Amino acid sequence: MRIAVCAPAVPFVHGGAEILAETLVDELRARDHETELVTIPFKWYPEARVLSQALLWRLLDLSEADGRPIDRVIATKFPAYVVRHPNKVVWLLHQFRQAYDYDRTELGQFGEDPFDRATVQAVHRLDRAVLGEARAVFATSENVAARLEDSIGLRAEVLPHPPQRLDYRCDGYGDFVLSVGRLDIAKRVDLLLEAMALGDPSIRAVVVGEGPDRDRLEEVARDQQLDGRVTFAGRVGSDELADLYARCLAVFYAPRDEDFGMVPFEAFLAQKPVITTRDAGGPLEIVADRRNGLVCEPAAEAVATAVSWLSIHRDEAKAWGRAGRQAALGVTWDAAIERLLSA
Amino acid sequence: MKVAYYSPLPPDRSGIADYSALLLPELERLVEVNVARPRLSLPKRADVALYHVGNDPWAHGWIVEALRRRPGLVVLHDFVVHHLVAGMTLGRGDGEGYLGAMEREEGPVGRMLAHGVIDGLVSPLWETAPERFPLVREILNLASGVVVHSRYVERRVDEYGFLRPVWRIPHPAFEPPPRLTPDPELSGRPFVVGCFGNVTPSKRIPQLVAAFDRVRRKVPGSLLVLAGPVAPRFELAPMFEGLGLELGRDVLQLDYVDENRLWSLIAGSDVCVNLRWPTMGETSGAAIRALGVGRPLIVSDVGWFGELPDDVVAKVPPDAREVDLLAALLERLASDEAMRNALGAAARDYVAMEHDLRRVAKLYVAALEETAGGWFVREALLREVAVAAADVQLDASDPELSQVAEAIRETGVVK
Repeated sequence: MRIAVCAPAVPFVHGGAEILAETLVDELRARDHETELVTIPFKWYPEARVLSQALLWRLLDLSEADGRPIDRVIATKFPAYVVRHPNKVVWLLHQFRQAYDYDRTELGQFGEDPFDRATVQAVHRLDRAVLGEARAVFATSENVAARLEDSIGLRAEVLPHPPQRLDYRCDGYGDFVLSVGRLDIAKRVDLLLEAMALGDPSIRAVVVGEGPDRDRLEEVARDQQLDGRVTFAGRVGSDELADLYARCLAVFYAPRDEDFGMVPFEAFLAQKPVITTRDAGGPLEIVADRRNGLVCEPAAEAVATAVSWLSIHRDEAKAWGRAGRQAALGVTWDAAIERLLSA
Repeated sequence: MKVAYYSPLPPDRSGIADYSALLLPELERLVEVNVARPRLSLPKRADVALYHVGNDPWAHGWIVEALRRRPGLVVLHDFVVHHLVAGMTLGRGDGEGYLGAMEREEGPVGRMLAHGVIDGLVSPLWETAPERFPLVREILNLASGVVVHSRYVERRVDEYGFLRPVWRIPHPAFEPPPRLTPDPELSGRPFVVGCFGNVTPSKRIPQLVAAFDRVRRKVPGSLLVLAGPVAPRFELAPMFEGLGLELGRDVLQLDYVDENRLWSLIAGSDVCVNLRWPTMGETSGAAIRALGVGRPLIVSDVGWFGELPDDVVAKVPPDAREVDLLAALLERLASDEAMRNALGAAARDYVAMEHDLRRVAKLYVAALEETAGGWFVREALLREVAVAAADVQLDASDPELSQVAEAIRETGVVK
């Protein structure tokens, strides 16, 4: 099959969504499907840009390439799913959240003036039209599916995406908690930093990822006098990431109402328990309190308690990590690709 | 966003006043609302105005006048507004206004008919055939967008060539009193049929009374409840006498009843009936109330009523077999408790899902936000496309731009 995987790109930014799209391409190619990643840079500000940038996708002609038909398009998120194709399948990571659950919150971008409000409504109409026309819509988590149904009344089938390929292993349960993900305010890495200041001083934190919130987070670390106890590793390669997963005590992953997030599955494949919070959204579909991790209140004190507890209960940390691994092994690329191509 | 809100409100006695009393508090949770009042100063500066338009000139004349001063989003509670227009023209001694309205609707023939009405040669059209001459054109011309409650009215608006946005928003569900008890006046009856709201010929009262007469012969002691003001010149007594029906024994006729009494009467009815023909494109608050508390409901198979799902209501076409079918349905419902329960349960579920007040308020906010800012969004998008096209020296007649226009249309970003 000839397949175009469509995903927007934010130049110089690389996170879970980009990894998913790239991995999907690799996995399709590994199964002998002729596959290309199609991207268009996405800029969502000022507000007027959102719709014109989305329109770019609609102007693409992906019916064929070089005289040969493209059999299927798989789009992952806004605005890539605006693309027109008779066999369009959407594997939805998330909608344009600024026009939905982020709207009128500190994470939103639209104000109260008539232009902004009408733009929000236009995004909703756009989603109804272009998701409604898709051959099938899958959501990466129940959380994403529920948001979609609540907002535009469209029900998606839940199809979790498997984690990226890494040399997952467990080399022990060391003296640091690992945070992996893009550094933006919604990921709430500051919760971990503040917890470090409150908890066992022998435990460190390693923060992997880049993003617009990095400067602020480094300032938080300085304010909390965490000198030497927090490492901002930036963006790391696959081997280094696998090594960090292999050696950490636990993985912290507590964004606010996250769509899904690959990180818990990656942690589990390295047999590490996950610390998350009750308002984390998608991760709660994977992390079960005291079965494969700890689910605590979204407060620094609670996170500090969770970290300290795991540091002195290593047997539980190991057992929960192993339990998580069993769950993660069930989410396979074979199963995901079979659904995406059979819909 | 600030909304200037024009509607009749209680203590006015009308379905639209009740509607706004229900909607306003929920809407005010989502947007800033300034409620306009007749003969008082205009609301403070607003981003958009919302006009509730119905067919009663006394309740809605001032609202149409405000609409003439400032376009806005119009809620078309009735598609046929002939009575409204006649009241705002002939009712104020403005014959020329009525002639103009009829001419806009039907051309020279309309004008001639209007002359006939003014001269007393033709019976008042708002009484004899309003559905033939809806006289809604001026309202549509002034509206920036229209809210309708049914596909029927949506279709009629479209047939008028209305090109601006139309939103179909369900009538919100009324909240019944916390402790709903059947009206004691209905107790002890083997079968009670309730019909609520204004008592007019278009509610098919003669047909209902005739069908009920057959039912009471099979189920002695049955009671027909007619609760609502009777239309002028609509005589009920001869109808009852002709069939041997007695007030008190067979029929309970009440004038306007307050909200609590209305609920208790609905609760005490085994079946509610809400027929309509001709339809002016209206919905029915009484029908929504009955469905919301799980009363089996029989409606006419027309307009909004006909769009209710088949498993939620029983439908009767307004044709030659209307009385026969209505009587048969009532007889069946009188004897079949399981059918009554099934219809009632489906009705309750349907209203909870489709007519949920919070959902309705959100749909209103979406319509208001698009009305207030949609033009600016459209202009900004088209300007950006135009600038890009000009940069690469595309001419307006180039087919590439047709493709762009098609893409914009397909995605629905411009309503």
